Parts: sequence; C-alpha cells; structure tokens
Amino acid sequence: MPENDPLFTPKLTGRDYTTPDLRAKLTGTARFADDFRAEGMLVCKLLTSPLPHARVTRLDTGAALAMPGVRAILTADELPPPADSVSDSGAVIKASPWAERALTMEPHYQGEPVLAVAATDEAAAAAAIEAIDIAFEALPFVIAPLDSLRPDGANARIDGNVWLPPEKPGEQPRVGKLKWTAADFETAGPNRLPLGKAAAEWSYGDVTAALSEAALVLDETFVTPNVSHQTLETRSALAWWENGKLHIAVGTQSTIQTVPAIAKWLNMNADDIVLVSEYTGGGFGGKITASVPVIIPALLAKKAHAPVMLRVSREDEQGIGRARPSLIGRMQAGFSREGRLLGLDLSVVMDNGPYEQQLDAAISGRMGSLLYQPLAMRWRGTAVLTNTPTRGAQTAPGGLQVSALIGPLLAKAARRLNLDPLAVCRINAPEGRAPVGPPKADGTLNAATSAFLKQALDRGAEAFGWQARRARPALTEGPVRRGIGVATGCFVAGTTGFDGLFVITPEGRVRIHSGIGNLGTESFSDVQRVVADAMDLPWKNCEIVWGNTAKHLAWSCVSGGSQTIHAMSRAALAASLDARAKLREIAARTLGGKPEEYTVGGQRIFRSDAGQVGMSFAEAARRAIELGGVYDGHECPADVNKMTKTSVAALAGQGLLAVARDTFPHDGQTYSYVATFAEVEVDIETGMYRIVALHAEADAGTVVHPRAFAGQLGGRSMLGIGHASRQKWFYDHEHGTPVSRRFYQTRPTTVLCLPERFTWGSVGIPDPQTPIGARGIGEPPTGAACAAVLCALSDALGDDKFLRAPVMADAILAAVEPETWRPAATLSANV
Amino acid sequence: MAIIRDGMQPFDLYQPTSVEDALTLADRLGADAWMLAGGLDSLERFKDRLKRPKAVIDLGRVEELRGVRREGEDLVIGSMTTLTEVNRDPEIRARFGLLAEAAGEVASPQIRNQGTLGGNISQDTRCWYYRGGWQCYRAGGGTCYAGESTQGQNREHALFGVEGCAAVSPSDTAPALIALEARLVIKSAKGAREVAVEDYFVGPDTDITRMNVLGTGEVLTEIRLPATWAGVTFYFEKVRDRPVWDFPLVNIAAAMQLSGDRIDRARFVLGAVAARPWRLPQVEAAVAGRARNAAVDAAARLAADGAVPLPQNGYKVALVRNLVKRAILGKTTS
Amino acid sequence: MNASPLEPIRPGGMTRRQFIKSVIAAGAVTSAGLLFTGPAGAGHKTSPGAVERLITLTVNGQQRRVDVLPQETLAQTLRGKLGLTGLKVGCDRAECGACTVLVDNEPLYACSTLTHSVRGKNILTVEGLARADGGLHPLQQGVLDEQGFQCGYCAPGFLMATLGYLTANPNPTRQELAHGVSGNLCRCQDYDKILTALMRGAEYMRRG
Repeated sequence: MPENDPLFTPKLTGRDYTTPDLRAKLTGTARFADDFRAEGMLVCKLLTSPLPHARVTRLDTGAALAMPGVRAILTADELPPPADSVSDSGAVIKASPWAERALTMEPHYQGEPVLAVAATDEAAAAAAIEAIDIAFEALPFVIAPLDSLRPDGANARIDGNVWLPPEKPGEQPRVGKLKWTAADFETAGPNRLPLGKAAAEWSYGDVTAALSEAALVLDETFVTPNVSHQTLETRSALAWWENGKLHIAVGTQSTIQTVPAIAKWLNMNADDIVLVSEYTGGGFGGKITASVPVIIPALLAKKAHAPVMLRVSREDEQGIGRARPSLIGRMQAGFSREGRLLGLDLSVVMDNGPYEQQLDAAISGRMGSLLYQPLAMRWRGTAVLTNTPTRGAQTAPGGLQVSALIGPLLAKAARRLNLDPLAVCRINAPEGRAPVGPPKADGTLNAATSAFLKQALDRGAEAFGWQARRARPALTEGPVRRGIGVATGCFVAGTTGFDGLFVITPEGRVRIHSGIGNLGTESFSDVQRVVADAMDLPWKNCEIVWGNTAKHLAWSCVSGGSQTIHAMSRAALAASLDARAKLREIAARTLGGKPEEYTVGGQRIFRSDAGQVGMSFAEAARRAIELGGVYDGHECPADVNKMTKTSVAALAGQGLLAVARDTFPHDGQTYSYVATFAEVEVDIETGMYRIVALHAEADAGTVVHPRAFAGQLGGRSMLGIGHASRQKWFYDHEHGTPVSRRFYQTRPTTVLCLPERFTWGSVGIPDPQTPIGARGIGEPPTGAACAAVLCALSDALGDDKFLRAPVMADAILAAVEPETWRPAATLSANV
Repeated sequence: MAIIRDGMQPFDLYQPTSVEDALTLADRLGADAWMLAGGLDSLERFKDRLKRPKAVIDLGRVEELRGVRREGEDLVIGSMTTLTEVNRDPEIRARFGLLAEAAGEVASPQIRNQGTLGGNISQDTRCWYYRGGWQCYRAGGGTCYAGESTQGQNREHALFGVEGCAAVSPSDTAPALIALEARLVIKSAKGAREVAVEDYFVGPDTDITRMNVLGTGEVLTEIRLPATWAGVTFYFEKVRDRPVWDFPLVNIAAAMQLSGDRIDRARFVLGAVAARPWRLPQVEAAVAGRARNAAVDAAARLAADGAVPLPQNGYKVALVRNLVKRAILGKTTS
Repeated sequence: MNASPLEPIRPGGMTRRQFIKSVIAAGAVTSAGLLFTGPAGAGHKTSPGAVERLITLTVNGQQRRVDVLPQETLAQTLRGKLGLTGLKVGCDRAECGACTVLVDNEPLYACSTLTHSVRGKNILTVEGLARADGGLHPLQQGVLDEQGFQCGYCAPGFLMATLGYLTANPNPTRQELAHGVSGNLCRCQDYDKILTALMRGAEYMRRG
C-alpha cells in the first residue's frame, strides 16, 4: 500500500461490539415500513393476474370506486413513462422497453400486479378488488426455458423468448427470438442439455484440445433450483407527499442508492424524494434498491391526497418478491490424472423470468473460471424468458449456481481418478492474483486482488477432521448411509470509489452520516469502526446517523453483492484521513507550526514534540466553524458524488466536516472465497437426511466484526443448505401457475435444519489491495455449502443419482431404488 | 370478479361456554355456521376468502370440551384439548404413547399450543390445488388437477382410493387414533352418536366434497380411547421434507400386542396416502400370530397392495413398505 | 363483553366517533409509530343495531379497552389498535412465527388467533419485556451480548417463543431450545448465532 500517512491501528476493528440498531430490534421499537402509521393513512392492495400471460380486455372499476371507503384506483396507464438514467460516469442508459413496470395491462406471470386500490382500511380494499370487473384474454406462455427453445416452443413475450447481446457495440441487450433445432434436442437425449446456438459465449485457451488430452472427461448436466427470496418482511411501503416532496418508508438494502432508483421509476427529480429505511426485514439481493412496486403507494398517495400504505401479503410477495433464476448447466470437463481441470466447456440456459436480463448466467462463467481455474475454458449462455415471476439477484447470483454445477463434478472426478476430493478441490483452487475470465478485448484475463482459498481448504480440513472422517469404513448395514463432501464458493466482494462523511461536533463527538442500508449485515455500522480507530476515539463517542435521507447521508455503494465492508471501510478511512489533515491544519493555523508537526490521539490534536501544545476535538470543531470553507463544509471536494455534496451543504457549519471519496489504489477484481466441508447421514428407508457436521472456512480478508461475520457465514451457509435440500417452488405447467404458495410448500429452512455441529473459521489474511484488508463475506458461503451437501449426498449414495437440486426425500428414495421408481426425467427449471 | 386472497370477510362470532349452548346455536344457525376449534385450518381458509361463513361458533370457551379424564377403562379426551396437552398428558403418555408422539409431531410448537385434537383430525385436505381455490371436484368443479391433468403436480398426493380426487388426509393424530380403535362422540341438538374413529373419515368414493362425517349442527365432543391397545408396543413415524411445519409425505401409526417376539395382533394405519387415513387390514392379518422377523417381508409386500401411484408420487410406494417394515421391527440403527 | 354467549359479536358496532372516544377514554395509545399525530385503525364500517364490541384486554399487565371486530386477529388488534408493532406479520398464515406473543404464558401465533378468544387472558408482547426504567429483560440482554439476529424482523417472535418455552424448561440443552423455537422462521437463517444468543439469555434468566 502507498504511504497513507499513519493509517490506523486496528483497536476496535476486528473486535466484537454491540451494533447501535440491535437494542431496538430486541425491544420491538425498531420501526419497519409496515410499522409506520400516519393520520388519514389509506391502505393499498393489489389486483394480480390469475394467468401466466394475458391481456386485459375489459376493465371496469366503477362499482369498486363507488364502494364505501374506496378512495382511489391506480392503473398501468397512469404510470409515468420509464426514464433514462445516467451512470456515475455520465453515460446515459436508455430506459428499456422490456423493463418490468409496477402495473401492467399485459401481465407476464401469474401474480403480476395489474392495478392497485387505496381504501380507508384493508377490508374495504379487499372488497373493492373483488368488485372490479375485469376480463383477460389468455396469451401463449412458457414455464420451462427449454420448451421455449424448441422449434415450435412458445415465447414468453410477444416479441421474443431470449435476451440477445447488443446489435452494435455501445447499445443495450435486446429481446429477440432464438430456437434450437429438433436435431439439437435429439442429439442430447432426455437428460442432457442440448447444445444449440447460444445467445452469448466466450472462451480462452483451446478447450477442444484440453478435452482430448485429458485423462478423464466428464459430461454432466444438472439443474439448479429456482428459489424465491422470501424476505420475512414483505415489500410493504408507506408513501406520502409533503410540500411537493415524496416521503417514502420502505425496507431496502441500500439507503441513499434507493433514491435515484425510485426517481427513475417515477421519472422525477431525486432531490424531491426523502427515503426512510432505518430497518429492513431481509433483502438477500431482492431489495437492493427496493423494487418497482414501491412506486404504487407513491402514485396513489398523490392521487388520493393522503398517505398510502402498500401492505404486501405473503402471497403477493411470492409473485413480486423476486427469485433466483435456475440454471440448467452442462459441463464437459477434462481432468489430468492429478485431478487438474485442464478444460471446461460450460453451457447454461437460464430461466430468466419475463423481464430484465438477469446476470446469473454470465456470472456463472466468470465465477467458474475463477473458482476452478480451468486452463482452457468456454462459456456459453442463453437467458430464456419465461412466464414466471421477475427474477432478481439473490446471494451470490451465478456464484451459487456454478458451485452447485461444478462442485459435485470435481467430487465425481476425484472418485473416478481415485483421488481425495479435497486434493482435487485444492489443486484447482485459485491462488494469489488468480486469473478470471471472460477475456478482455486483448485476449488476456483479469486478475483477482488476492485468493487464499488453498489455505482455507487446509485449515478447514483440519478443523473438520476431513481425513479422519474419510478414513472411516462406509456404513453398509442398516438404513443409514454416510457421506462427506467438500466444495468451494466465491463471489465479488468489494468495489471502490464511494464517499465517507462525518462531523466532529463542537462537543467533541463524531457523528457519522452513513448512506449504507441496514439490512442486517451490520456493515452500516461495522465499517465505521474504522473511523473510531483512525481517529483514535472510543466507540461511545461515535454516533451513526443512518436510514433517513433527510438526515444528510453520504453516497455509498449499494448494499448488494457484499461490496459494502470493502467499499465503505475504504470510504470511512478516506474521510478519517481528511479529518486528520483538517485537524492538523486547524491546529497549525491556531497554535503555530506546521500541520505535519501535529499528531491526532486521545481525542486531541497536539504537537508531536510538545504534547501540551494542542487542542481538543471539541475546540478544533469550534475553530473549524470559525474558519469555514473546507473545514466546516462550506466548501466541498469536487470529486464526491452530487448527493454527498447536497448533504455536505446541509451540514455546513455544524462542526469539522470530514468528507472524502475513496481514491485509494486498487489493482484487480476483489473476490472472497469459502471452503465448506459437510457430512450427511441419509436414511435410505425414508429419504430423510441430516447434516451431521458442517464447517465453513472463509477467505475474506480482515474480519472487521467477528460476530456479524459469523452470522453471515452461518446464515448464508444455511441458504445453501436450503438450496441443496428442500427449498423450492412447484409449478403446474399446463396452467402456468405455481401451486406452492405457502412456506409449508416452499420449505425455507428452519432452526431444526441446522447442521448438528456447525463450525466456522477464517483465514483472515488481509487483502493487499485495500487499506483495511477487508472483503465481503455475504455471498460465497451459499454456493460452497450447497455444493458440499450435494457432494456428501453423492458420496453416500453414489454418482449419477441426482439431476437437480434440491434433493428431497423422493429423490433420495428414487436414488436408492431406481428400479421401483424414477422421477419424471425432465430438465425443466420448474417442476 | 377479481380474486384476492387476503383478509377475512366479516362474520358474526359466537362464543358459547357450554356444549348445550353450542348445540343450540349450531341448530339455530344451521348451514350458516362454521364450527371453530383451534382455528388454524379455518382462519387460513377465511383469509384466503375461500370460505365465507356468515357465523362462526368459537368452541374455545367451552371448558367441558377440554381435558383428559378417565371413565372406567376408557380414557376420554375432550375434542378441544390442545395437541400440546395431549402430548404432555401423563396418562396418555403412559398408556397411549402412540397418540402423544403423533400429537408432538404436528406442525410447530405454537400450532400445537393452539391446535386441538378434534381440529387436527377434522381438518381439511392440504391438496395445493384445492387449497389454492382451483375448481376441482372437491371444490364442486369438474376435474382433479393433481390426478387427472397430464402435467398435474402430484408429488404429495394419494396412492390409494383415488376415486376422482387425489387429495390426502394430512393429519398426524388420525392414524394414531385409528390404530388405538378410538371412538368419537358427536353431539347435536337432536342427541348424541358414537362412531368408530375409522368410520369418521370419508373417502372420495363416498363423498368427494368432505373429509369426515360431521354434519351441519354437529359438534365433535369427545375422543374415547378404550383399553384395547393400552400399553402395547407402538410405532409412529412421520416422513417429511422439513422438520417443522410440514405435513407428512407419509406417516404411520402402528400398535402391536407382542408375546415375546410373536405378534398376537396388530393395527397399521398410514396417513397422507389417501383421502382418509389408510388402514392396512391385510398386513394386520398377515402378521398376526407370527414372529416379527418372519412376518416382516410379507407385511412389507402386502403394504402397498392396491397402490396406484401417480406420475410423481411413486416414491410413496417405497415409503409405505419401508415404514411398515420399521413399524414391525423398530428402527434399526447402524 | 357480550351480554350472553348466545348473542353474536357482530361486524358492525360503534361509529367511528364513539370508537375514538372510547379509546381516548381508556387511555389507549393508538400508535407508537406515528409519523403524524392522530388515531389509527379507524374507518371501520358500521352497521346499525349491532352489539357493542368494546372489550378489555390485559396486555403487558395493563388493562386496555379496545374495539374489536369479530373477525379481527390478535395481531391486527395489537399492531393496529394498541400500537404494539413489535410483533410482525410475516405470513399471516401461522407459518413464520414473527407474530408470536404469550397468552397466559403460552406462545401463540397472534396472526391466527381471534382477539375475542383471548379476552380475560394475559397477553405479553415484546414491548412488555424490558423494565419500566428501560433496563433490558435478561433474555434480551443475553441476545444483545451475543449480537443475535441480523435483520431483526423475526426477533420479537423468537424472544416470545423462547420465553414461553423457558417457563416449562428453564435449563434446556441447545437442541431442546432449538425444538422450543422451531416454530419461528428466520430468513437471514442466522439460526446458529440466534441459538447461541438465546442460550445466553436463558443463562442470564437462571442467574436472575
């Protein structure tokens, strides 16, 4: 690292503490969107489509509007036209004609909102929905992506069935038509993904040669699950207008970044929006900047001249609450005798849902290249539109899928080559500045900032007792079979270039204005430990302001993709260095001498050579106000975001203002990694199985807050366990409708799904490309845990037993007694 | 009319404090009234707006319907006794552990605290088409989406007795009560009747729109356990995908009177394989008088006799056989 | 209270004005979460000739007068009319546990309990845990010390389920406690840390 002046000594960073939001969560005083009340508040409910694809042919809201208590009805024609947006670099991103809208007269999935009613109470709103006279014309629909690729397959949208790359460079991707030939399907057979023309592809090295030279070539097809996010808090929102400004209370993962998103959907100025989001009841990628239905109460509130609460039912959340896309993957992989992956030919078809192109398919290629380091690789991917709910990023989007696809493949290769699966994981694990596909324009690969996954595998194997468990004889008597598995996961774990902002008040306290969302990861607070360390302050002297954009917050990264701990610890340090520089200058100007002769410590700024010459933070803050200019925020650095500038202007004069953009050097792409070990015991008479032990070993750089880190590692591992073992939805293909609508049918994990012994560890080697050394941990545990469980199941029951995840009791019984029953052979993403 | 499944319709609520009052009300209100026990099944249907009763009779304040007492050799359980109470009752645990265990496997702790034994055996089916408001036979419509449609989702549906409707009985306690030869007391303003619990349940061959014989104006008041099977060897197992909340994929309740290793007599009852709990009389006959090890193969073979699997529930055949085997031999551990 | 159990509690009832008056008279807090001042939960339709629905509930040790519809759930009453928004409605179908409250010390799903069915019983919500001076209940303190929970939406339900379970079994093993709180869903799936935190809380409770 460059000499960032004396950076900071981690005293608090790396230690447990109580986050400032926890007490309210435990006393019931934490206010989530649905907990707000406003005088004259109306309640809004949605009329959703009963059909998977349809056009509204008749709509009469007259009777509903005439009902007592009904105040307003909002239909799709009242939505503002989608606005273009402008990226941070100033590039205009044109509004997509295929983007999801809040309401539609041509619903593309069962459960999509058509209109919304605002009434004085919930009962009146529900009764009004039932009084609406509406008729639909059914349109062709498709539920399984492969059905749509068949020569005569239906298209999910009138104008196409797949996302195609831009026609010309610089343009945006578009929806178009793509069909595979009957021969493509015939060649593949029933349980292999056909290899028709893909919508997109890239490669490096000579994959064909690598496969032909390999000691072992595997050709596997696997289907990863469609899993909805199911945040415990549905995406309810309260909106009201005051003096021309929209106020909106909604659970979102990202506080400040949600403002421009809502502004875009509403086609209005971001300055006229106040967002309140102190607490968010889970996001998992599904609420990165809320989601488009959030504008429904805003528009209704304007129309009805009253605050409007959109109270989203669990059933509606199933529709609009986002879901992870399933990937149907085919892997042709060539291994050396030592288990090294020489060539990987990965083809994926993604169940995209009907709207915006999801990135999971493309990310699966990138993460596959990083996580398994194939010497040669080709990736081919097609995002197929289906008439199923809108997809969204979910914990390690594309990363989970590629671990589920390839983790078990490595384990199978190990068995076939008579190698230890751990050794095969290790030999293929990324190390140091590992290369990452896809290739750049010049044909070279990008590089990771760092990777210590081999160390994580070594430490994890030790903690789990891998070799001892492996050495035990297999259970062959009785109904229980035992299996162990090891697998890895990785994902993006940090970005750069955001802003830090805090005020040293005339009382000598530090008030940090955090624009980071509070979604439960605690990074909104954890990154501020860096401020306390860098300023040599006790934590009790730091106050964090968050969750309300009226409180003048700093521009932050979106809290998605686990970038926050990396991006915002850098921003916190940048602001701290700014504060220290300003303190020195103020001291020098006030007490004489040169700024560099002063030191910050013990809540004072003092002469390094004469400690008694100095001033307290409180005195410095008062002096900053006298000096004005940059010191108290009347002048603002040019390179910070315009939303930060607005906040700085509002805070000017309140004390010493520390504000800076993260410009610390950063070379490479930042990723985190997890190695996970699992043991299962399968009851082959009932198909039920237990995860006896699971160990997750992280490589995510410096750990900033161990308990929060452990929570992420544990919680996200549980999500992977859910993907492997039970959480899914069920679809009726004939009618295009999900039949699973309740938790008891979609089966998210419960406390009793916990591994009987769950342990974790962290390699803890600081990432060399960021001053704090911290990378995100929220994503990679999911793929690693999912794949480790799948590997353990195959270890227990044998290879080639499972075509898809999750593996539930019926699949286990089919694996044990294939002669009595096999599940319907299908590669459908939704079954 | 557009569809919304969110929020109960208004109804008149009655809260009688005696059985007599409840019966008077039930008689007076007739088909307009809905009898509410713990309410977990009912309130879901109300909120989904698929059931819209004009009046609800809440039995929760009728003290005489709660509790466990002895009457001669019989153990009498009030129909409004909660599943938690059934699970914890020392007398039930001591003599009819099968029922205590089954009650303890229902849903979740909170549901067991509120859900009643009467309600658990009287609940409606969980077929996802029927519960989703599809107009199937059971709902008065003209098809079975699970069983008759070529692409129906029937993983969790019936193996036996599919006469039009492929829905299954979701109860965990019902098979246990049948294994124990319980009798049910049903009262109405006109009087009382007692039925064998086995005869309480109705398959689609009898009436495709109902799960039990309880008629308008009737209240299930007591579950009576005779001494017939008290203290014999019991076996209960519930196979499910998720350890809490899940209804059974298949469950089994078995009672065996043993002399040493010889089975004198036995009862085997499966849940979630037919619209009513499914007793296995042929298995019972085959094992009677034989040693457990000698009986098990024939029993397992006979267990799935007559099963007609749907495209996605063939695994239940294996489950039925394996569970019968385990019921006879006990769960072996490696 | 009804005059006779044979008389129904009808959906109709008081006028809005009567309702507001009665609530004010009873000193009920209509909502702790007000953005603006004024009563919440109003606006119910009235039907002439119906029986009064004003009942008294015992919530967190206090008598609360409240107007309750026949079909109203305890979750609706507590959140909408008594301002006790600590409990959450995550599913409204008895399958997530976020609405768990104690009724006579027993954990129940408030979303699936009719309010009229708990008349005369003691209702405890998460708001009733901390001491009047703001000091945390030992269970809360234990969770705080272990940084239990992530987003926190499920936390009030978990706390109440735990408290109910500990009444019967104050010194549980980790696995026993897991079964005790198995009727509560956490979608952050922070179960391992939650169990650690609840075990710490149970320990604090035993120490008193």
